[in-house]
Formats: sequence, structure tokens, C-alpha cells
Amino acid sequence: MGSRSFSVTGIVAMGVGTALYAAFNVFFNMIQLPGTQLVALRPSVSIPMFFGYIFGPIVGFVAGFLGNIISDAISWGGFWWNWDVGNGILGLIPGLAIYFLSGEKLFERKGLLMASILSIVASILGMGFAAYTDYIFGYGISTIEEATYALFLPAAITDAINGAILTPILVAAYSSAVKGRARRS
Amino acid sequence: MSVRLIKYTEGDSVVHRLDPRAKLTFLFSILIALILTASLPLIIPLLAISLTFYLSARLPWDKTKSTWKFTVVIILVLSALNYLTISVLYGGEGVNLLQKLTSQEIILKSITPVCKLLTLVIATATFVFTTPPNLYAPALGQVRLPYKIAYIIQLALRYVPEYIAEMSKTLEAQMARGYRPRGGKNPIARILSVVPLLVPVTISATISIYDIADAMELRGFGEEKCHTWYRSLVMKRGDRLLMIVSTLLIVAYTIQYAILLLT
Repeated sequence: MGSRSFSVTGIVAMGVGTALYAAFNVFFNMIQLPGTQLVALRPSVSIPMFFGYIFGPIVGFVAGFLGNIISDAISWGGFWWNWDVGNGILGLIPGLAIYFLSGEKLFERKGLLMASILSIVASILGMGFAAYTDYIFGYGISTIEEATYALFLPAAITDAINGAILTPILVAAYSSAVKGRARRS
Repeated sequence: MSVRLIKYTEGDSVVHRLDPRAKLTFLFSILIALILTASLPLIIPLLAISLTFYLSARLPWDKTKSTWKFTVVIILVLSALNYLTISVLYGGEGVNLLQKLTSQEIILKSITPVCKLLTLVIATATFVFTTPPNLYAPALGQVRLPYKIAYIIQLALRYVPEYIAEMSKTLEAQMARGYRPRGGKNPIARILSVVPLLVPVTISATISIYDIADAMELRGFGEEKCHTWYRSLVMKRGDRLLMIVSTLLIVAYTIQYAILLLT
């Protein structure tokens, strides 16, 4: 796995995934589409999940981690390392699908269902990590109840819904788009 | 729609002229020190240090305004939330609400995390404002990190503006075809309404990964173990001083933490 992730394709995938995630975050922050506020708060979370699912857990982690750092730096110029790691976990978990399913099955119905379930798991673990480290290291909040109700639940629920719906759609679109191409690794 | 990538602001202050590597070390030391401490008297000096760092950068107010607005809102919301939850949940038994709200311990307890947050925000924002984005990758490459890691950041920074432009292009194209994002009260319909926007950009970018990788491989990327950078960074006296200060900070707060653990 390690050698595949740091091949040239892996490096480019990390760069492009990071750029896409950051661009989507900034874009959805900038342009408030009518009717997509609040619930569809961050449809962009499906990007690191999708990259993790296609290119492996390390690529997913980097896309979420760096993408969040860059979008924070663009939109207000600061960073919280624990939220960045939490976003990285969003991409890491769906990447584990490779260990359960092999090759072609990743893009069949079973694989799409797996992508959806793993996205929900990833949202819970990733946002849980971010919210509770905020409490443990005392960044701005000081009770565990605040961590649960003000940070963890809203973030995890919106991310889980977005990821569970959008990740399989992206995976299916990718598999049909890549079918006609000669090279595919 | 113009997007200024990374909030870098030109300037000629002491902080602007520092080596990015020294600034990174400094940020790292602040981060470690904040993790190791939990009491207000020890956070105040850190806050003072990062305020000095910010003030010596002499950033113009109209550039930093939006950052401050965001920070102040977050801090006000969080401190109010802290103050209320602590006093209601941990106020102790048998005292009335007014006594709870004015007890010194509770005020102290709700201020500490906010100070921590403020310290971190000021230090990192100053770094972002004073470091040109084209120096991020060379700086990381020259702290002996593998150049591939530095290259990921280089690639990402290069493609962010491109994808933002691509997204607005796609949005306009879809709107010309009659796309109107709406979905009423149904949350799932609302999420599905971003699909026509999300899918084309993501899939075309993902397919282009293979072309970019081929182009880089053809130019020999990844063959050599080492990589040189066009901009070579040189440590000056001020940079060494900052490195020493950062090391001292880490040492001091580690000792403090060790003493706290032992007693």
C-alpha cells in the first residue's frame, strides 16, 4: 500500500484531492446557493471520502487534512490541527474498503453500499476526534456536554448525511467515466 | 469572481523577513506549549508572545479585518456557551444561580479555553498573513522533509484557483440549461440538488490525475532521491534567535508539565 500511495499517480491524486476539497469548501462558503444552506452545509465532505475510496486511505487522509488547512487559510487565515486531522479521518476510513472488497466489486452495488456505510462511520469517527480533542486540549470549550451538543452532533450528522448520499454517486459516476479509458491503475 | 489565494499581505516588517522555517518552528513550539498547559497564568505569557508576533508584523487593519471578525464572533459565542454550561452544570449544590454566575472559579474556568484559542489563532493567522504561498513548498522541502510531501502542497496550491474557476463556470453552464438549486424542506432533495455541480467538476478533475501523472513521469519526476529548490532559503541572525526562543519555550513548558506530573 505504502509504495502505491507514494507513486507519481498517488502524489498527484493527493494534490488534486486537496485542491478540490479546498476549492469546494471555499466555493460553498462564498456563494450561498439559495435553498442549500444549513442542511447541505458541507456537500464537499464527499470529496475526501471519494478520493479515499478510489485511491486508498493515505490519499484520502491527505486530501482531507491538507484540503481543510488550505481552505481555512484562504477563508480566514488560521488553523486548528485537530479539525484538520478529523477531516483527514473522513477520507481515511472509506479508503479501508480496499481491504474488504477486491477490484471490480468496488464499483458494483455492494461496493456502493459499502462506500455509503463507511462514509457514515468516517463522519462519526472524524468529527468525534475533532470535537473531543477540542475538549481535551481545551480549545475554546471546557465541558464535555458542549463538545457533544455544540460540536460533535451537528457536524457528524450533516457530514454523515452528505457523505452517505454523495459518495456513492461520485463513485458510480467515476466508474462509468473511467470505463472507456485504456489506463486505469 | 476574484479569489485571492491565501491571505498573504505584502510588507517589510521583521516578521515578513523571517525565514518560513523559523516561523514554522515557532508555531510548532506555541502548539506544544499550549497542549502542555492548562492554567491561565501560564497561558497569559504565551498570549503575550503571539500578540507581540502579530503586532511586530504591522499588518494593515483593513486586510486583517475579516479574520478578526470571524475570530471575535467565534470567541464570543464560545465564551458565552462555556460560561452558561459551566455555571449551570458544575456550579455546585445548594447555591443560587446568581452566586453561581459570579463565582470567581467559574469565570476563570470559562476564560482559560478562550485565551488558549486566541493564542493559537493569532499565531497561525500571523504566519499565514506574512508568508508568501510560493515559499510553503520550498520551506517544507528544506527542513529535510521528503520532497514528495512538499510537492503535494505545491500541486494543491497550483490547482485551487483553477478548480474554483471551473466550479463557477460549471454553475453558469448548468444555470443556462435551466438548473435552479432548490429542494424545499426535504433535506435529501437539497443535498441532491448540488449533484449537477459536484459531479462534473470532480470527475473531470479525477480523470485528469492520470494525465498530470503521466506528464510528470515523462519529465522524470520521482526518479531521483533528492530534489533541489529554485529558491534556497538562508537562515539569518533573527531566524536563529527565533529558533532559540522556540526551543526554550518547548523546554520550559515541558519542564513545567513534568513538575506538575510529579507533584
